[in-house]
Amino acid sequence: MSTLNAAQRSIVKKPANTSVFLEGPAGSGKTTAGIARLQHLLNAGVTGSSILILVPQRTLGAPYADALRNPGLPPGGLPSLLTVGGLAQRMVELFWPLAAEAAGFAYPNQPPIFLTMETAQYYMARLVQPMLEEGAFDGVTIERNRLFSQILDNLNKAAVVGFPYTEIGPRLKSAWSGEPTQLRIYEDAQACATRFREYCLAHNLLDFSLQLDVFRQYLWPNASCHTYLLETFQHLIYDNIEEDTPVAHDLVQDWLPHLRSALLIYDSEAGYRSFLGADPQSAYALKEHCQEHAAFARSLVSSVEIQSLTASLGQYLVHGIESPGEIDPRPAIAYEYQRFYPEMLDWVAQQIAALVHEEELPPGEIVVLAPFLSDALRFALVNRLEALGVPARSHRPSRSLREEPAVQCLLTLAMLAHPEWGFQPTRFDVTYALMQAISGLDLVRAQLLADIAYTIHQGQPTLSSFSQIIPDTQDRITYRMGERYEHLRAWLLDYQHNPQAADLDHFFSLLFGEVLSQPGFGFHASYDAGQVTANLVESIQKFRWVAGAGLAQAGIPLGKEYIDMVQKGVIAAQYIQSWQLQAEDAVLLAPAYTFLLGNRPASVQFWLDVGSRSWAERLFQPLTHPHVLSRHWQPGVTWGDADEVEANQQVLHHLATGLLRRCRQQVYLGLSELGEQGYEQRGPLLHTYQRVLQGLVNQFEQGEG
Amino acid sequence: MPVLRPAQEEIMDYPGGRMGISAVPGSGKTWTLSLLAADLIYRGVLKEDQEILIVTLVNSAVDNFYQRISGFVKSSGLLPNIGYRVRTLHGLAHDIVRERPALLGLENNFQIIDDREADFLRSDIAQAWLNSHPDVLDEYFDPEVDESRREWLRREQLPKLIKDIATSFIGHAKDRQLHPDQLKTVLQNLPLPLPLAQMGWEMYANYQRALAYRGAVDFDDLIRLALQALDSDAGLLDRLRRQWPYILEDEAQDSSWLQEQILRTLAGPDGNWVRVGDPNQAIYETFTTANPVYLRNFMSEPGVIRRQLPNSGRSTYSIIRLANYLVEWTQHEHPTSAVRDALQSPPSIEPTPLDDPQPNPPDELSYIHLSLRKFSPAEEVQAIVKSLEQWLPEHNDSTVAVLAPRNQRAFDLVDELRKRQIPYHDGMLRSSSSTRFSAGSLANLLRYLADPQSSSKLATAYKVWRRSDRAEEAAKARLEQNVELLRKIGRVEDFIWPGPQADWLEESGLAQADPETYAQLIEFRQLVRRWQSAILLPVDQIVLTISQDLLSEPPELAIAHKLAVLLRRASTDHPGWHLPELAGELAVIARNERRFLGFSEDDSGFDPDKHRGKVVVATMHKAKGLEWDRVYLMSVNNYDFPSGFIKDVFMSEKRYIRDHLNLEAETLAQLDAALTTNEYEWYQEGQETQHARLEYIRERLRLLYVGITRAKKELIVTWNTGRQGEMQPAVPLVALEAFQGGFEGGDA
Repeated sequence: MSTLNAAQRSIVKKPANTSVFLEGPAGSGKTTAGIARLQHLLNAGVTGSSILILVPQRTLGAPYADALRNPGLPPGGLPSLLTVGGLAQRMVELFWPLAAEAAGFAYPNQPPIFLTMETAQYYMARLVQPMLEEGAFDGVTIERNRLFSQILDNLNKAAVVGFPYTEIGPRLKSAWSGEPTQLRIYEDAQACATRFREYCLAHNLLDFSLQLDVFRQYLWPNASCHTYLLETFQHLIYDNIEEDTPVAHDLVQDWLPHLRSALLIYDSEAGYRSFLGADPQSAYALKEHCQEHAAFARSLVSSVEIQSLTASLGQYLVHGIESPGEIDPRPAIAYEYQRFYPEMLDWVAQQIAALVHEEELPPGEIVVLAPFLSDALRFALVNRLEALGVPARSHRPSRSLREEPAVQCLLTLAMLAHPEWGFQPTRFDVTYALMQAISGLDLVRAQLLADIAYTIHQGQPTLSSFSQIIPDTQDRITYRMGERYEHLRAWLLDYQHNPQAADLDHFFSLLFGEVLSQPGFGFHASYDAGQVTANLVESIQKFRWVAGAGLAQAGIPLGKEYIDMVQKGVIAAQYIQSWQLQAEDAVLLAPAYTFLLGNRPASVQFWLDVGSRSWAERLFQPLTHPHVLSRHWQPGVTWGDADEVEANQQVLHHLATGLLRRCRQQVYLGLSELGEQGYEQRGPLLHTYQRVLQGLVNQFEQGEG
Repeated sequence: MPVLRPAQEEIMDYPGGRMGISAVPGSGKTWTLSLLAADLIYRGVLKEDQEILIVTLVNSAVDNFYQRISGFVKSSGLLPNIGYRVRTLHGLAHDIVRERPALLGLENNFQIIDDREADFLRSDIAQAWLNSHPDVLDEYFDPEVDESRREWLRREQLPKLIKDIATSFIGHAKDRQLHPDQLKTVLQNLPLPLPLAQMGWEMYANYQRALAYRGAVDFDDLIRLALQALDSDAGLLDRLRRQWPYILEDEAQDSSWLQEQILRTLAGPDGNWVRVGDPNQAIYETFTTANPVYLRNFMSEPGVIRRQLPNSGRSTYSIIRLANYLVEWTQHEHPTSAVRDALQSPPSIEPTPLDDPQPNPPDELSYIHLSLRKFSPAEEVQAIVKSLEQWLPEHNDSTVAVLAPRNQRAFDLVDELRKRQIPYHDGMLRSSSSTRFSAGSLANLLRYLADPQSSSKLATAYKVWRRSDRAEEAAKARLEQNVELLRKIGRVEDFIWPGPQADWLEESGLAQADPETYAQLIEFRQLVRRWQSAILLPVDQIVLTISQDLLSEPPELAIAHKLAVLLRRASTDHPGWHLPELAGELAVIARNERRFLGFSEDDSGFDPDKHRGKVVVATMHKAKGLEWDRVYLMSVNNYDFPSGFIKDVFMSEKRYIRDHLNLEAETLAQLDAALTTNEYEWYQEGQETQHARLEYIRERLRLLYVGITRAKKELIVTWNTGRQGEMQPAVPLVALEAFQGGFEGGDA
């Protein structure tokens, strides 16, 4: 408490029967006040279990989760830290019998199956595939998995905004003003959404949208559930409400009069998740339902120069004018123009190395941000930093499982052990699998071996014995390698002929334990490979939990289906939480939004690709539209050029100021004339910086000479 | 502000509105336009977020403009790179289309295929068309041509001809914003069939289908779609008009109707639009859609301020006089009176005024030799090379170029220069090599990694790694020897991953016999091992790993980075692809997408001064905008520069086609006929062939004018009798020689 300022203390000390609406920009100490308030309530004798901490997304709850782990907390039940989606799921689970029938589920007497984003994609893929083959979505070039996720996204938008999912297509169509072919695409998107919802109802499956719909329509109005919630939770701390959805706000608005105390925390410049349905307007409307209002204005994070820069950029982006404040922010900005992209990366890496090695800034205090982080950029920069002795980490949520070489090796071996599944790995797959599985086998010999030993026999993949190879070639491969190969082959063959053959997860555990982790084999003493195997096993187990029963009924081997889905990219690494263990004190490379939603400040930020248009552009999503599917969209109005421009301007404003609010000291701008793709870079962020700098030159250098 | 000539002062007084400027060669168009841009910025005419839009013809000019304007702007104490945007027309169209691609039915990351790739496509389509219509063109064969020769022609000549027809047909159809579907309707409702137009349409439809399949657009589409976006989205047009309140256009004489239309639309009825051009240098229009007529018409529109840039400090007075005489002669004495409008004046070229910062070279340094001597093609090459051999050693600090009307003649000369070991630069004869080089190198390495047992692919990889050795004779010999050595390795693993029993490198004896090669091969082996272990990485990371070992120049590394991103996308789109497919994709990419890249040398412009003491060999077309101390113009005969005489032979009229018909021109005439609404205008065979002749004669006169005005001090012009020995000196050459002789009293 002693480290809090007066404004924060006044929030914390509010009586335990008040509802407070607290607003302020990022970095002004709101969440710190929220946590102190939580501790204050607990210390004042409020039962932990009667406190609900609500956040829009799990990462935003991290500071509270840390605080709850504090051993100094008074004994008693722990507060609940949830998202509205989590709350909905918990209620559906508890009160399932009250809602299942009314909501239209085919088997109200059987338990519900909750789908994750991934498993929902899996079912979506299965349902949409036949439609694709009939020509649905012809004319739109989009990666399959993005197609599935956009249809799910539409369902989620309908749920979080609160309109019937049957209106998705009609809404999108009515706002469209371009090529008429797009209208058919929207119709297809609607048809898929409908088909998916019907399938879920018929099979007791609940994706996020259905969980929320069931909760909102059948449980919240239900007296038992309602009373249960009102009795359980009497105190609410609701942070980052601007990142939450209209339906969440509706719920809290209903709830507020019944709560003993509430603290709602609103970041006045954010709303980054608007592409996921976040609605700062409906969040702000909660203000009038709170008894007391408070506002923090002063940044506790940024230096005065950064604050001045934030103000200048903000002014320019909102009003189109440069009106610098009294403090010259230029010492907080560093930049250098390069012509080519890799030159810019060199410069960035050198600056970082200088900060770390010469100024002894901890690497964890440095973040490198770009609007879009291609894998090539990630790789190129991490390599450069490593060469300069700087640890770096990067968050890659959408990395496909099949891209992990060890996973690919395991899957290929699984295909070889299960020839009846009908997979035919290519010669390259087998070469690379052998090269990884057998310690000391180089690429040239691995290919030689695969060329000779690997055949497709009657449609089934087969490995022939080393002893059948002519001596001259055996000699080339070497007998030592041949021996190891033979051991692996024999094991696979044994497994194949073992009538007790178990499921795929079991297969991988055995393969790893009995062969690959042994001396002479590729996963021996490799912590990483062991981790990958363990993760893969876990992923299959989760898959079985959702899809196992259905597949067994259909007579499809689970392992076969799993491999198929991984190959198609439907199952990605999202399954896996701790995919890569990464050093904490390392330079973070992240897309700008990921960093924002992580909500942790850094001392120094590097902004790459400042000239890119993507800073101000929403991702092109041919099947959905965040604005048209929001609560503020007037039906029948078309989305035109002016709307697009205004939306982009707003995106840029929120993004730029949001980043600066999370910056303590210094911003480095990576500027290359030609972008990653070789096009000249002239995006609006670059333009804004130039204008602001020009204004600064005019203000601070006039009269100096 | 720099010292200005009176004519430039007048331009700087630009009050806004429309202005057309006729310039002469060497009059500093770019400089003046840059200064005008800087001056407008300095005057403070721009509001927040507004830019002056400068539009030019080629990428090299873009850089040039940026440098000059930023120079002027900085000298006025303002920040560079604010308040102006320089684009080629294609770049501008790309910007516009990129604003809202979805409205045009394009993805955010739609692909653009370049001319070369488009040409490949059209070749395929032409061949396919010919295969399915083998006899359709038979009626156009010269009756003298017998069946066996026809067979040969169908195989060897027609594919190229049909492709050329497809190219011009598609270009013209797009210039008129005609979609294949619309054209189909038109053709179906004709009272009489137009077989050539029908053929053109079929290929056009197939071509668009092939583009759609690739999710791509070509350069013409880009222009067409940009205009479509402006026409269909009033909000976008308003915004862009606000953003670019001033449009300055360079090289306006090479504008096509559609290109002009984009700028006209962007400028709006009362907008500010300045066009600079030299109609006498319009040399791009044969069968393209460009035409200097558009600029001339603009100049005579009411309300357009007309200005001139007549002063040029480039050439000596004698050379200026000769160039001006060519204009005068054409206007008054050209034997074919219909083409007397090919070259225009005023303005004539005038020397710079006294005390000008760019004074003309003193006339005593001038040397003009217009040779009417009868050379065979080989003799002509010999004569030029001999002249260079004598001149070059004493002029190592001077610039010199030999300009030919066609690539082939230029290559003939290059062969001879190489034989005689005379230093030369022929880079301008080839298209941008830097991109293809790096993409091609990477493709070769990927091919090796896909087939690591192959010794020949390993040898190629080595060649790629040591590619700089090719520049020097001794190193080149060693390189070739080592490549041979590697090619013969029986078991690659014994070199790359030797075991205790077999080690190819140790057993080769190179350690003692040739320690340098030995050391090189050890280094190479290290690299290959590293690349082999990178093979499990996603393809973008393989490419980056390799390119870090292989490339050092920033532009090359930038290309490699881009290639990595593109290949990654390809491999995501095609999960089953392995290295061989990806290497193939790399080869396709290598041919693609070059025009927007700032990656290659010719994008940053050719600078003759960097090649002092070397003979630059180029075509007259490519020499536009450049200047040399001494210039040779070769092949100035009646084949490359016809004048409309009976004996003149026209390249576009194939000898095997009846009645001297120019089928490309006739096809376009049929297209026009199909589209005309005037019932008295109907297709008449042969008429357009005659028109095309006249157009060609005009263009060639301008080409000669461009050639002459490349010379600063010395000009040598020669001609040859052609392969059959029947060609004559070009009529204008004879006229110029007579004129020049009047000053010199005979051959110099």
